[in-house]
This record gives sequence, C-alpha cells and structure tokens, in this order.
Amino acid sequence: MLCKIALGNVRRAGKDYLVYLLTLTLAVTVFYAFNTISMQVDIAGVTEQNAGMGETLGGIISGLTVFLAFVMGFLMVYANNFIMKRRKKEFGLYQVLGMGRGQVALIMALETLFVSLVALVLGIVLGLALSQLMVFFTASLFKTQISNFHFFFSLGAFVITVGCLVAIFLVTLVFNLRVVAKAKIIDLMSASRKNETIKTRNPWLAAVVFVVGLVAIIIAYVRLLRDGMPYDGSPEGMTNFLITTITVVVGTILFFFGLSGFLLKAFQATRGIYWRGLNMVTLRQLSAKVNTVSFSMAMIAMILFLAITSVTTGMSLASVMNESVERGTPVDYTRCLVYFSPANIDELNANQAQWDAEDGVESGVVYAAATAPVDMIAAGHADTIQEGEHAGEPFDPSVVSDDYLQVNAYDSMPRGAERPLVTLTDLCQAVNKPLPQGAETADPTSQGLMVMKESDYNAYLRFRGMDEVKLGSDGYVLLSDMGGSILDIYDAVMREGVAIDFGGHTLHPVSNAVNVDASVFQNAMMGMNAGTIVVPDALVDEANLPLYYGYLLVNYADDVSVEEGDAYMSAHRTYGDVTDSTGAIVAGWGVEATRTNTYESVDSMNGLISYLAIYIGFVLVLACAAILTIQQLSSVADASPSSRILSELGCPTRTICHSALVQQTIFFLFPLAMGIAHSMVALNVITRLVELFGGFDIAGTVAFTALIFVVAYGGYFAVTYLMSKGIVRDAVRIRHAV
Amino acid sequence: MANEHMTAPKAGVHMRVAAPSAIAQARAQDASSAAFSSESQQPTVLDVQHIEKVYGARGSLTRALTDVSFTVRKGDFVGIMGASGSGKSTLLNCVSTIDSVTSGTVEINGADVTRLKPAKLTRFRREQLGFIFQDSNLLDTLTARENIALPLTIGRVPAKDVVRRVEEVAGRLGIAQVLDKYPYQMSGGQQQRVAAARALVTDPAIIMADEPTGALDSKNARLLLESFEAMNTTYKATVLMVTHDSFAASYTHRVLFIRDGRIFTELRRGSSTRQEFFERIMEVVAMMGGEGSDAL
Repeated sequence: MLCKIALGNVRRAGKDYLVYLLTLTLAVTVFYAFNTISMQVDIAGVTEQNAGMGETLGGIISGLTVFLAFVMGFLMVYANNFIMKRRKKEFGLYQVLGMGRGQVALIMALETLFVSLVALVLGIVLGLALSQLMVFFTASLFKTQISNFHFFFSLGAFVITVGCLVAIFLVTLVFNLRVVAKAKIIDLMSASRKNETIKTRNPWLAAVVFVVGLVAIIIAYVRLLRDGMPYDGSPEGMTNFLITTITVVVGTILFFFGLSGFLLKAFQATRGIYWRGLNMVTLRQLSAKVNTVSFSMAMIAMILFLAITSVTTGMSLASVMNESVERGTPVDYTRCLVYFSPANIDELNANQAQWDAEDGVESGVVYAAATAPVDMIAAGHADTIQEGEHAGEPFDPSVVSDDYLQVNAYDSMPRGAERPLVTLTDLCQAVNKPLPQGAETADPTSQGLMVMKESDYNAYLRFRGMDEVKLGSDGYVLLSDMGGSILDIYDAVMREGVAIDFGGHTLHPVSNAVNVDASVFQNAMMGMNAGTIVVPDALVDEANLPLYYGYLLVNYADDVSVEEGDAYMSAHRTYGDVTDSTGAIVAGWGVEATRTNTYESVDSMNGLISYLAIYIGFVLVLACAAILTIQQLSSVADASPSSRILSELGCPTRTICHSALVQQTIFFLFPLAMGIAHSMVALNVITRLVELFGGFDIAGTVAFTALIFVVAYGGYFAVTYLMSKGIVRDAVRIRHAV
Repeated sequence: MANEHMTAPKAGVHMRVAAPSAIAQARAQDASSAAFSSESQQPTVLDVQHIEKVYGARGSLTRALTDVSFTVRKGDFVGIMGASGSGKSTLLNCVSTIDSVTSGTVEINGADVTRLKPAKLTRFRREQLGFIFQDSNLLDTLTARENIALPLTIGRVPAKDVVRRVEEVAGRLGIAQVLDKYPYQMSGGQQQRVAAARALVTDPAIIMADEPTGALDSKNARLLLESFEAMNTTYKATVLMVTHDSFAASYTHRVLFIRDGRIFTELRRGSSTRQEFFERIMEVVAMMGGEGSDAL
C-alpha cells in the first residue's frame, strides 16, 4: 500500500523529480565512465610504462569520485529539500489521516529509493555506452592504436558507483527523515501559507551593498594583478594573497546580495523602462527571491570560477608540454652530469669525515672540484647494467651509438668570487624590464647565467647539423629554451646590442635574437635552459670559472633501432662514482632521458591532466547548473498564483514566460559571468607564472572548456526554461473560481 | 451561505405563502423603476443572450447554466445572487471570458466575446474588463502602486500616464496612504480596495467582482462597497458583482437571482432606500432558500 502511494507520488511529482533524476543519472554515468579508466587503458593498448600511469590515474579518479560524490550528495540534499518543502502539506495530510510518522517516513524513503534505482539503471546504461566511446578518446590521448576493441564492463567502477549512490541515498534519506520527524502537523499543514510571506530588503541598502561588493571585487582584482601569486611562499606574500582571496569572496557575496536591489533602483530611475510591460514584476520577483538564493549564486560563481580556472590551466599546461616536447627532445638519449661547486667541497668532505667517524670506517672517499671536464663516456663505464642481454657489462653508450657528443657548461660565479659575472638582474636592468614573475624576489647571486665556451657550443651546433656562430674576440650569444617572459628579456638584450662586462672584457652580441631550437641540451618535457651565455674560449679560462654541467647527447647508430637503443639505455643499472684522475669524486649523475620516454611522459601527463580537468570540471558544472535549475523551477512554481493573476489581468502567456526567462537568464548568466571574470583575472596571473616554463597558449583550451560549459550549463538552462514554460501554462489554465 | 442553510428549514413553511406576494411585489417594482430610471437612455455595455454552459463528458453532463439572458447598460451596478452551486460564479466566468460558453452569445460593447480567438481575448480582457476577486489576488511582490499600475503597464501605457492615473484612482478610493506598502502590510479591506483600484484604472467597459466582500469583516465590507458606489457614481463605472451577501447586494441598483442555472427573478432598487432594498432582497433570498429546502 505504502509502496503504491510512493510510486504514485513519484509519477505525480514527476516534474519535480525530473531534475533530481536527470542530475543523479548524469552523475552515475560520469562516475561509472571515468572509473573505468584503468580498463580503458588496457583496451586502448597503452604501452607498459603508460599502463602504470593508467593505474595512477585510476587511483586518483576513484579518490576524486568519493570527493565528488560528497559534493553531489549535498547537492541532492539541497534539491530534495526543495521537493520536500513543496510537499509538507501532503505529509501533514497523511498524518491527519492517521498515518504514523514511521509510515510517512517510509513513503518518503521509498520514493527516494525508486528515483535512485531508476537513476542507477539509466546511469549505468549510459555509463556503459560512454565508457566504450571513451576508449577511443583515451587512445588518442595516449597516442596509441586500439588493437583489440571489445565491449567491456568494469566491476570495480560499478562497485564504486553503486557505493557512491548508496552514500548519496543515505545522506538524502537522513535529511528527509529529519523533516518528517521534526515537523508538527500544524506546521506541515500551513507550510504553503507560511512560505508566502516575503521578506523585502530596503532596495537602497541593497544598492549600496552591491556597489560595496563591486568595489571589493575590483580591489581584489587590482591586488592580484599587482601582487601576483605567492609562489615564493613568503609569509608576507601569503598574507597578502589571503587578504585578496577574502576580499574577492566577500565582494562576490555582497555583489549578489545587492544585485537585485541595484537593478531595481537603476530601473526605477528610468521610468520608461520600469513602468513598461512586466518589467516591474520581473524586477520585484528577482529581488524577492534574491534573499534565498543570493548566497548560493555567490557560491556557484566561485565554484564555476574554480572549475574554469583549473580546467583551463590544466589543459594549457598539457598543451604547453605537447608543443614544446618536439623541440625539447633534440636527440635519442641525453644524460646530465652535475659538478660539485668549489664552494661546497669543504662541507662535503667534512660531512664524509663525520659519517666515517660515526660508522668507524675509513671509506677513503674524497670530494674535489673538477679542474678539467670529465669524459662522460669513460665515467659511465663505472655503471653496471643489471638486466637484459648486456647484464653485467659496464654501461657504454657507444655500444648503440657512433654519434655522440659531450657539451660542458661553466658556472658564471668565478672561483672565490662573491657575485656571478652575468646575472638575470643585470640583464633586466640593462633593457629596463622587470624581473619575470616568480624570479623577482630570488637572491641575485643565485641568478647567474650558465657559461659555455664558443668551441663547445660550435661542436654542439655541428652535432645538431646547424650553422656555427663566430664570436670573434668580443662577441657573445644568449641561449634559453624557456618561454615568454624570460625569453623576452634575452631577446631584448641581444636586439638592443647590450654590452656585457665579462671579467673585465666588454662583449657585444653577434645576433639579434635567441635561437631557441639551438638552446636545448637535454631531453625534457619543458624548457630546462634558464639562460646560458656563450663566450670566446679564452675568456672562460681567464675568468677561472668552475665547471657546472656536463651534457651527453647520443643519437643511436643507423643499424640500431629505437627499441634496441631505448632498451639498452633504459635497462636498470648500478651507478659508479664520477672521479677525476686523482680518484676524488668531482660530480654526480643528473637526469637521463630517452626521447621515447620523454614523449611518453608528456602523453601520460597530458592524459592525466585532461582526464582530471574534464572530470572535475564537468561534475562541478553539473552540480552548479542543477542547483540553479531546481531553484528556478521551484520559484516558477511558487509564482504560479502570480502567473494566473497576470493572465486574468489580460497579460499574454508569452509575456509571462518571457518574464520568467529574463529572471532565469539573470540567475544563470550572472554567476557564470562572475566566474568567468574571476577566472580571466586569475588566468592572467597564472599565465605569467606558467610562461616561465614555455609558451602558454590558452585559446584552444578555452574553446574546449567553453564547449563543455555550453553543453552542460546551457542544457540545464534550456531544460529550466522549457519546464518553467510548462508550469506557467498549467498555472494559467486553471480558472480562478474552481 | 451558512446563514441560508440555518434559516431555511424554519422559514420554509411560512415562505411558501409569502412567496407569490414577494414576486408580485418585485415585478411591480420592476415596472415602476424602469419607468423612473434614466438607465434606458444609456448604451448597452453587456448583452447576454441565451447562454448555456454544460460541463463534463458524455454520460455525466452537468448543466451549469440554462438559457440565461440579460443586459447591462453603461453606469449600471448589477448584483448576481444565488446559493452556492446555483451557477452564479459560472455565469460571471462566462461573461468575463475566463470560461467559454456552450452556446449563446455574450456581447460586450457590441463585440461577441464568444467568437474571439484566445490571443484577441487576452487583449480584450485587458482593455475592456476589470476584475475583483474574493481574495484580492494582488501580486505580493509588488507594492500597492505597482499592483494598480500593472494592467496599464501590460497594456503599454506611457509611464507618465501610468503614474498619474494610479495616483488619481487611489485618491478617489481612499488608499493614497498605502500606495507604497506591500499587500502583506495592508488590511484585508485595503487590499480589496487596491484590487478595486486596479480594476478601475484601465477605465474598463465593465468591472466584474466575484464575492468581493467574502473575506472581509462587516466594517471593511462596508468601506469597500462604498468605494464601489464611488466608482459607480464618479467614474460612471459599470459593475457586475456576484455575491451571496444580501447586505452587499443592497448597494447595487439591480439584483439578478440565479437558481439551478437559470435566472429565477430580478429586483430593481428604483427609488427605494438601501435599507428598503435590503429587506426586499432578504425576502427573495428567504423564499428561494425555502423552496430549495422544500425540494429536499
């Protein structure tokens, strides 16, 4: 019997439940589809290395799902509250007719259960379909071919999804039961009358609040644009950033609290508009509703802001890596050697002595500053390969290559000196530019450029098949493969022909701009060369500069395939010490990377970021849009008596719908516009930060992000309008005397 | 309504004797008032001819109105009385274009509203009719001023005319001091007078009032009815008022009594005072109630 009532109720309150059902279904779909990621990676035929990434991704996504399920849970409670509020009278009636509270609660629980079950079934079916489609997307993200496509079902994803849905269901149920348990019958019965009292706020006050909010937002924008992000983590910077954040949050809330009052005052001032058609009704209804919804509008604006910013930033970072990876992988294999700085040798030896004393052994390990470059091929012989067909042999890249080169770079801080010969700060001052974001507070002594001998650099250029440079006796060129702000400075220095004092010699640039392609010394996803100055060989020796980096660049021999070469280079091995002729340790091994695994890292990183960005962005936008839809539909339903009166006063139904549309447009558009405005300012700042690592192009990603938003957000908007049109029509159709 | 049911059984026996004389008296009064009144020189605003209204589908038909005809001239103040279920509200709804008739014609200012298309009907309602309901049906988000202005702004009247006309009508109906209040800040009587002002502000051909005093206490009811009289005398507004309250009906010039979907009889006030008219109405009401109870 109760079951029958509950079923009937769901059918009758279908319109109220429709949005609830739609949102829950979409959530289930998305939850299931994204949680099948590790299975998709298998089917998409992703290579072993990336399969690890697939599992990582799967782990992150299932963690994220729990978090998003929480968000959805609260959204559902909210949505459900709206439905319940409208049905209090009905629940009161059940009790008046002699039903116990337990029975009423059971009816409600059953209703929620039916809707959740339908959402589960629909969602899983859609999720199954979506996950099959996503395999192709995954394959394209990880740049693989699907070799063995077959229909798949992920039990793990199913369990996670059902678990989340059950959690959402239980949370909703608890809140619903509270409504019934707490309410007195008299309150339930008079609920509809109670809801009609409308609190009005003084529009003047609201207009002032609006202006204050707007000013606060502008102040926060100016502060953020001026101060930037607190990337250095200094307490002062963090405090400033916190103040900015609080200002923008408070400003946003005040803005939405005062919005309708401001609109009301502004339009009342222009009588021709205010006293025309339903304009005053529209404005008054807006301001009557704003009490209940302004806070959620502000929250939606902030959530949209977070979603837009994180999705755009994530996608852009991915695209930066994608674009720079080709330039960033000049050869098949690179290995770095990091020389110890002369300033640190004493400390290293002291530490070693202390460890020896503690362990009671005489290790005989001595550290020293290198006086001549270490031959990296020879030094590599100290490594022993542990696996594959070459197991037990010393590591020697010449096994797979007859074409390799070692490039040596020097520190611009001469031995025993206090200050580097050339610093970024000096160059910025020379061309009258500010230090790039993120570098401005760093210690100038740590901003020395790397120095390279002309002969070393020309050897590199020959190895790369590029034209050599001729510096003469007083020439220099600057190198960097980083993007944006830093590159601008170096370009300006060379273009303006800035003379650099290098240990008493005045040098002049021999070209007009940085050759970025000829600035890459190691395989990497993003730019790694923050700044290098190439000078005549004699000057380096004369300035007594210590060695800084060694780069080994290797191209595989013609008869060695990339797979064979990669297998040799990537095979697990033990590392030996890097010593000079006296046996003292002078350097440590740095990063090594093959072109293949750099590409794979980029692809995986791309996949990871894209997945997370789309997943988070989509669910958040879904949640925001659903809240707005439910709010708007319930307010249109609440306004049914007004619609009827307007119709009886001779107002065409079309005009009444139009008034509802204007209100909905404001409710949907303002938070979105505010979110976009916040994002643009934040992205402006983030862009400057990210530019340090490479060109930052957000046009394409913005278009993609916009598409997701338009589909999800616009879809909900359309649903809202169509459904509210139906509600208005129903309201108008009822004759007043019935 | 409760009143009628309570008094009916007692009055029943007595009334059967009294009834013919009451009707005769009413008819006689009719003749005299027609001769006395200047109404006949006024143009006809509302002309209802042979309307019928049938509800329901085949098998379970309900005949709400049967062959109802009457006319209302400009400046007339007409009451429609009847027990609940007698069809008086249906009559008002049909006449006021809110409901459609099954057959017959309703002409307002010469236009047959039963033949108008929905879109034109909306416009017609806006321009020619004013409504006052039992619950004032004001928009609670709007101030009194805005509520009164609503029909004008819907009709796209220029803003300065809107403001002027609202002030003028509100002044006449004694609600100028509540213009900037919201409905929930006003008394029931004030709300009804605001609703009356809203009906009057477009200067409609005819104002339809459906139980306007139904939700008011006697003091506020009297104030409202006096406002109606003022509307009628100063603005020459034509008013058609449905009521079951004999006191309210006594403010009108003419009362049509509806029973079982037909016009049972009609009273004209003529030159009699309101008190005399009230007593005559009471007699008819008592008689109708009596016969009704007898039929049970």
